[in-house]
Amino acid sequence: MELIHTDEQEQLRSSLRKFFEDKSPSSEVRRLMAEGTYDKTVWKQMADQLGLQGLAIPEEYGGSGYTFVELAIVMEEQGRALLVAPYFATIALAAQAVLDLGDADAAQALLPGIAEGTTTATLAITEQSGNWDIDSISLEARPADGGYTLHGVKSYVIDGAIVDQLVVAAKAPGGLSLFLVAGDAAGVTRVNEPPLDQTRGLATITFDGAQATLLGAEGAAATSLPITMNKAIIALAAEQLGGARRAMEMAVEYTKIREAFGRTIASFQATKHKAANMFTKVETTKVSVHYGSWAAADNSDDLPVVASMLKAWASEAYFFCAANNIQMHGGIGFTWEHDAHLYLKRAKASQLIFGDDAYHFEQLADRLGV
Amino acid sequence: MELDLGPEANKFRQEIRTWIADNAPEGLADLTDWNASSFGSIDESFDNALQSPQYAEWSDRLLKAGMICASWPKEYGGQDWDAIQNTIFAEEAFRAGVPTVNRGFGESMVGPSVMVNGSQEQKDHFLPRIISGQDVYCQGFSEPDHGSDLASVSTRGIIDGDEIVITGQKVWTSGYFRANMIFILVRTDTDAPKHRGISYVLLPFTAENGVDKRPLRMISGAAEFGHEYFDGSRAPIFNIIGGINNGWKVAMTTLGHERSGSATIASLRYEKQFWSLVDLARKHGRDKDPVVRQQLAWAYSHVQVIRYQGLRILAQIAAGKEPGPEASATKLFWSDYEQRLGEIAVGIEGAEALIRAESTGPHEREPGDYIPNFWQNIFLFSRAHTIYSGTNEIQRNIISERVLGMPKEPSAARG
Repeated sequence: MELIHTDEQEQLRSSLRKFFEDKSPSSEVRRLMAEGTYDKTVWKQMADQLGLQGLAIPEEYGGSGYTFVELAIVMEEQGRALLVAPYFATIALAAQAVLDLGDADAAQALLPGIAEGTTTATLAITEQSGNWDIDSISLEARPADGGYTLHGVKSYVIDGAIVDQLVVAAKAPGGLSLFLVAGDAAGVTRVNEPPLDQTRGLATITFDGAQATLLGAEGAAATSLPITMNKAIIALAAEQLGGARRAMEMAVEYTKIREAFGRTIASFQATKHKAANMFTKVETTKVSVHYGSWAAADNSDDLPVVASMLKAWASEAYFFCAANNIQMHGGIGFTWEHDAHLYLKRAKASQLIFGDDAYHFEQLADRLGV
Repeated sequence: MELDLGPEANKFRQEIRTWIADNAPEGLADLTDWNASSFGSIDESFDNALQSPQYAEWSDRLLKAGMICASWPKEYGGQDWDAIQNTIFAEEAFRAGVPTVNRGFGESMVGPSVMVNGSQEQKDHFLPRIISGQDVYCQGFSEPDHGSDLASVSTRGIIDGDEIVITGQKVWTSGYFRANMIFILVRTDTDAPKHRGISYVLLPFTAENGVDKRPLRMISGAAEFGHEYFDGSRAPIFNIIGGINNGWKVAMTTLGHERSGSATIASLRYEKQFWSLVDLARKHGRDKDPVVRQQLAWAYSHVQVIRYQGLRILAQIAAGKEPGPEASATKLFWSDYEQRLGEIAVGIEGAEALIRAESTGPHEREPGDYIPNFWQNIFLFSRAHTIYSGTNEIQRNIISERVLGMPKEPSAARG
């Protein structure tokens, strides 16, 4: 393990940057967020040309078997471009949840389709209470006719209304378990909610006796789901890093052009010091994400601690950069037309989802045994 | 999680661990908390430990084994240790609770300057005296009228036959009371452009040589720094390194040496400090307080970031890469952190922090003494962290200009 990227990883990054600049420019982001959908052609290209969906999926399930470290680079770059697509939902949530179950049949059921770009999916955990603790899950799975039926409501489901498959955390007689349900199955009602951050969909999903397939064993999710959540947080932190860096660059680029009082505003110390503070946040997040992605790849013992720490730290960094990006742009940065608000909204939404800084600092104190 | 530095480094770690276990004198580790930062504090147990026979014995064994100034090249009395070996040695000493013995500025700055810029005769004369501890150096760079603007030195150096005669004043001289030598920048040509009229001199730092040393008392009560008046202080021309009027270049060759090998040690110390803070919160019954828990988690997060930064610097060194521009963000990060840490700690102490308690042993023996406890001292001394080694404002200028490519602030005084 090294906390610096290899040349190969840097090459991956530059090809991703080019791809997303090409496929996810501001005009596309705005078109897709207005329509509440994603571009299926680009999704297919991501799979066919770059193999992004299968990057960290093991070869036996149709992927290329890279690690979480490479996956974090993809997360970072798609986050930088505000890619409107269910990549985080499908890869960091659904596929990861199945992988963490460690059950070959479950993996075979979902992962090959994801890897080849023909299946999208998400993970439904949180319910109407908005409580992020998995202990608060109450959606019920009842055995019926050799299978199961689901009863209850899931809320804040990332991209829940647009994906093909739902991995649902539910209470079965044997404990917390994961189930697979087709998005368009009978007894499933999906509402695409109007989100604060329009670049990422959030759905409320009602399960009214929908037929579901058990993934792995009953009760297995009690162990696997916390691991999945920790890894999802690290993937999200990588995405936040990409957004934070872009917001910093936007601010710096603009201040070098904008003139006031006969000089560029980038020459004012007040502006430079804000930029330097952004840089410090970005750099400390970068090294933390790198460490976190390694901890995830390694299933390291300190994964829970690193995840909670990163959730707070990357959120703080992204919000700081996104908010100051608006400030450094002045009036133009406050307009709908300018992209700065897209980053601000993504930053705040990412900070709130899965628990905010205060929640995770309390988790961290708890996990450290304070 | 340990950074795997490869089999060679792991073998080295084993050797060092064994060597320390075999050679550390009995009882050395118990004399004081060698791992606590004593910088800027008044700690009698630390001072006493430095005078102990065990410490003398340990220093002697390290010296004989070539483990003092071990990062120096073999031809100059070192072991050619690289940054990773230095770090491993420091980590293992930390784990064993014993001190490393270093020669301060002599080891980190004077020696490397002499190696690069000195003549063979100068190397033969000055380097062994640094390793043996015979010459202990302090740094004479800052002057009262210019802190961060180093090139503006005005202390005069006048050549008089085969000697240089020095008159002027220096300030912020760290460790002045331990030193018998000072490496000093003096102006030897007042007509040349300001970077070109400076000389780098190794000057006997004694009252007999016309040096009037005075303590510079800090807000924490201690006097880690001094200020000095030089009134006709003399050194042979032999003691000018790199030639007359070439001192700026000599000074610049060693600025980068200031903190090599300490990258991961800082986080070990911070982590230890963090758990002391947790103990403090428990002792004061504040560990269930949700606000304090937030503060503790915040602090732990920062300690981890500092740790990751150290690991990355090591990884870069192991890969033969120069640490990148992100290194300049590191100082901003830890200095701000330590200030906040001090504030959190005295907040947890609450009313107790209102009184200076005698946690360190010696007490205020003379009227006017001011001895803070451990956390009070961190709270007070940490105000210096955002000022020294280039103020945090200067660091932000460096980041914005050199990393982000933003323009310099227009200034009439810039020359």
